[in-house]
Amino acid sequence: MKNIKSHKALAALVVTALVTTMAVAIPSAANATTTCAKASFKSSGKSVSYQKCTGTDWQGAKYEIRMPSKFNGMMYLYSHGIRGNHNMPKVPVIRPNGYVVDMAPEVAPGRTAADQETIARALLKQGYAVAGSGVSTQGWSVPEAVNANLQLIVEARSQFPNIEKVVSWGDSLGGHISQSLSEKYDVIDAVANLHMAGSADSQYTYANDFLWMFKTFFDPTIKGNGYSAGSAGYMEYMGDISKVLTAFGTIQAAIAADPLAPKWPASSTVPAALQAIPVRSAVLLIGLLAGVPVQSMTYDASSGPAGPLETSFGLAISPALGVFENAFTALALALIGNYDAEVRCGGTIFDNTATDYAARLGDNGDVYAAGLSGKTATAGMLAYLNKLNPAAPRVKGTPAALNCIKNEQANYTGAITIPTITISQTADQVTPAGFIQKFKELYASNVEAGTAKPGNLLNIWNKPPDTYTKFDSAGKPITPALPTTGTSHFMYTNSDLLIIAKMLASAGKTGKLPSVATAKAAFKKNPNIFIDPDYKPELMFADR
Amino acid sequence: MKRFSIVSAVVALGAMVVTALPAQAAEPGLTSKEIKLGISTPLTGAAALSYGKIPGAMKAYFDHINANGGVYGRKIKLVVRDDKYLPTLAATQTTNLVLKDGVFALVAALGTATHSKAYAAASLATKKVPDLFVNTGFSGFGNRTKYPTTFTVLPSYAMEAKIISKFVKDKFPGQAVALVAQDDEFGVDGVNGFAAGSLTLASKTLYPQSSMTDARAKALVTGLSAIPGKPVVILFGTTDVTALIFKAAESLSLTNKFTWIAGSVGGDSNTLLALGVKPTTIDGVVAASFFPDAKDTTDEYVAEFAKINAKYNPGVSFDNIVLQGMNSAMLTVQALRAAGKNLTRAGLIKSIENKGSKFASAALVPLNYSATSHIGYNGYWMGQLNSKGELKPYGGTLSVVTTDSTTGPITPSTFKRLSIPKNGIPTNS
Repeated sequence: MKNIKSHKALAALVVTALVTTMAVAIPSAANATTTCAKASFKSSGKSVSYQKCTGTDWQGAKYEIRMPSKFNGMMYLYSHGIRGNHNMPKVPVIRPNGYVVDMAPEVAPGRTAADQETIARALLKQGYAVAGSGVSTQGWSVPEAVNANLQLIVEARSQFPNIEKVVSWGDSLGGHISQSLSEKYDVIDAVANLHMAGSADSQYTYANDFLWMFKTFFDPTIKGNGYSAGSAGYMEYMGDISKVLTAFGTIQAAIAADPLAPKWPASSTVPAALQAIPVRSAVLLIGLLAGVPVQSMTYDASSGPAGPLETSFGLAISPALGVFENAFTALALALIGNYDAEVRCGGTIFDNTATDYAARLGDNGDVYAAGLSGKTATAGMLAYLNKLNPAAPRVKGTPAALNCIKNEQANYTGAITIPTITISQTADQVTPAGFIQKFKELYASNVEAGTAKPGNLLNIWNKPPDTYTKFDSAGKPITPALPTTGTSHFMYTNSDLLIIAKMLASAGKTGKLPSVATAKAAFKKNPNIFIDPDYKPELMFADR
Repeated sequence: MKRFSIVSAVVALGAMVVTALPAQAAEPGLTSKEIKLGISTPLTGAAALSYGKIPGAMKAYFDHINANGGVYGRKIKLVVRDDKYLPTLAATQTTNLVLKDGVFALVAALGTATHSKAYAAASLATKKVPDLFVNTGFSGFGNRTKYPTTFTVLPSYAMEAKIISKFVKDKFPGQAVALVAQDDEFGVDGVNGFAAGSLTLASKTLYPQSSMTDARAKALVTGLSAIPGKPVVILFGTTDVTALIFKAAESLSLTNKFTWIAGSVGGDSNTLLALGVKPTTIDGVVAASFFPDAKDTTDEYVAEFAKINAKYNPGVSFDNIVLQGMNSAMLTVQALRAAGKNLTRAGLIKSIENKGSKFASAALVPLNYSATSHIGYNGYWMGQLNSKGELKPYGGTLSVVTTDSTTGPITPSTFKRLSIPKNGIPTNS
C-alpha cells in the first residue's frame, strides 16, 4: 500500500469499520484524546529526540505513538500477544504474583521490557516512528485489536500527516492481529508476524484436546469446559487450576523419582492394566494426539545422560519429558483461554464428540513406539480414549459459542496482497509450527483463486540446535536459565528482531520481499535460522 | 557490421553452450568433479556397536572407486552424520545433510522409526532427493506414494517371517514355537509375516524397544522354560536384546533347553560375541541371511570386499556389517553409472527402477527393483552359526528361497548371482 494518499478510500474504510464496530460495542469515549510530550535518549553519545504521544481511543484502547524528530516517513505498528482478560489471585507456578488485567500499549517486541525499549529506540534512532495499542479488551481480542490498530493509524496520521508508510508487526496473537489487519484494510505496506497464532478454533482445539485427554487420564473431576455463569463459574475455573496443578505436580514428581516406570497420579481412575504402563507414555501419547512438540526448552528428544541409559533415555524418555514440559503451557492456555473465551462467546467453545483420537496417531505410533511403551500399550490407551468408553465422556460444545469461536474472531484468511514475513520456532508449544503451514496453504489457495498475489510470503524458521539437553554429574537433566532457541514460545533476540525490522522496512518501501538468498545472508550468523520453502510442518489437527 | 556479426555469433554460441549444459548444473551436491552423498546413521549409542561400521565401509569402497577414476570422472564424497538411531536426531541430521551439506542423494540410512521421521522432516519427497538403499526391512517403505524417492535394500521383515515360518514347520514339526518380538512396526511386520506363514505360536511376547533388562530377560526365559519339550524360540528383535536373552539363558543354564532362531536384525554373531554372549551359546543358533557369510573367503565378493577393506579401511575387521556397507556402496556406484554422465536426481531414480534388478550384488537373492517396486532383496537362506560365529547352510546345503511381503508362495530361488565386476569396479551403464 500505498501510503494513504487516497484519503477518501481510507475515510470510507474507517466509517465502515466504525459503523460495524458501533453495532457490537459501546464506545468508552467519543473521541481519541492524544497528549504529546517531548522526550529524548542518548545513543552512542548523541541525543535522539522524539515526541511521545499517548491517548485512549473511543473504544477505550490505550495507545502510544513515538515520533522521532528526524522522521523518515515510516511507522512501525506493533501488536502485543494475548493477555488474560480476568484478574487472578496468586497461583503458584501459573501466576505466582497474581494478575490484574493489563491494558497498557506496547510499541515494539522484545523478551523483556528493557529489550522492547531497546528495539523501540533502535528504530527511533533510524528515523522510524513506533506505535502500539493496548486494545480495549484482552483474551482472544482479534476483532477489537484490528479496530484499535485502525483507529491508531488514523490518529497517528492525524497527528503526523507526514507518515507515508505503515508497516505492521506482532507477536503471537499480535501476529494474528497484524495479519488480519493487513488483509482486512488497505492501510499497511508490509507485515512481519512473529510466531503467529493460528485460528481461534485451531488454537483452542489444540489446547482443549490436551486438557480433555489430561483430565480423562489423570483426574476426571477437572471440569475444563462449560463453566457456570458469574462468580460460580469463576470458582470452578480456579478449582480446575488447582486440580491441574496437583495432577501435573504429582506426575512430575513420579517421573523425577523413577523416569523408567513413573506411576500414575492417585487422582487417576483408569484401570489398573493401563496404570501398569509408565505414566510418561500416557503423557507422550496425549501430546502427540493434541500436537504438542516433543522438543522443549530442556529436552531435545535425543540426548541421554552418559552411561547405560544414554540411548534409551533419548529414545523412550526424552520425547515424553519434552511433551510434559511443553504441556504445562498448553494446559495453562486451555484453562485461562477457555474461561476467557467461554465468557466471550457465551458457552462451551470446544466439541470433541466426533473426534477420532486413535486416527490421529499415524506414523507417530511407529516413530515413538518405544516412548509409548509399544504398540500393545498404545492400543490400550487409545481404547480408553475412544468415544464409546463411558468412562471418558466427550465434551459437547454450545452451537452459538462454537460458531463464535470459528467464525466471529476476524481470523486471517491468507489473502495476502503486500509483502508478508513470518518467523516461527519449529518447536513452539504455544503456536506450533503447523499453524504457519496452514497459513501457507491458505495463501496458496488465495493465489490460485486470484485473491492473493504470488511471491508475497516469506517464511523464516528458527530451529533448536541439533542436540542441547545437558545433564548434571548425577545424570539429571538441567533446565536452562533461558529457553533454548527454536523451542518454547520465546521471543527472538534483539539482533534477530532488528534484522526482521530491517527486512520489514525494505519491504514496506519497495513493495517487495527480500529474496531467499538475501534473507539467508541476513541471518548467516545465526545457525538456527533457516529458510526452506519446502519445509512442511504437520498441520494442527483442527486444520486438517 | 562485420563486428556486429561476430558479436552476435559469440552471443549465439554462448547461448548454445548454456543450452547444451546438462540440467545437472542446478542439481545440489553435484559438480563436474564431485558427487556429494550423505548418510545419517548411528556412529555412537547402542546401535553403533552393530551398524557403526557401515559408513566407514561405504567410504572405503568409494575411496577405491575414486582412486580408479570415480564415476565418469566425478569423485564421490560421503558426508556422514551421527543420528544415534534416534528418530528426532535422525530427522535433524537428515535435514542437515540436505540443507546445510547440500548432498545430491542420501544413501544407506538405517532404521524404520528413524528414517520415516527423517523422510518427512527433511521434505525428501518434495525436494525429490534420491533416498538409496535404506537399511530396513519395514514393508511400509514400499509405499511409493508416501516414499516416492526411497529404495530399501533389505528383504522385508514380513518376507523373513514367512520364510522362517516355513522353515520351522519343515524342520521342527511338533515342536512348540515361541515368538519374542519388538512391539513396534518392525516386530509387528514380523508378527504379520508369521501369521501369513501360518505358524502356530505357543507363546508370543512383545516388548517395547529399549525396555528389555537383565531381570526381564531372565523372567522371560524362565517363563518360556515352562513350555514342554524343546521349544523353538524365535527372537525377532535387535542384537542387544538377543544378547540379553542369550545371557539370561546362560545364567539360568537354559541355553540347551531351546532351539534358538535369531532374526536377521538381531543375529549378527560378531556383535553377539562382542556383547559377551558365549561362543558355546551361539553354536547351533539358526539364523536367516541373504548374503554369503563374511568369513567365507571363497566367495568372490567377500574376497574382493575384504581386500578393499584392508586397503581403505585399515584396522577395521571385515564382517557382515562391513560386507553390507560395501555392497550398498557398490549398488550406489552402479546406480550412478546407470544414470549416465548427465546425472540428475530424477535420472538416478529412473536408473534404479529401470536397471536396478540387474546390478551386480553380493547377495544370494535377487534384487527386486522396477518401476513398480522400490523394495530390494526378496529372499533368504537359513543357516546355523558355529562357535566361531560363521553362518553355515542349515543341513549342509544352501537353499535360497524367495517370496513377497504378503500372501505369495515361498519358492526355491533360481537366481544366478552375477560375478563381481573386475577389481570390484562396476563398468555398467
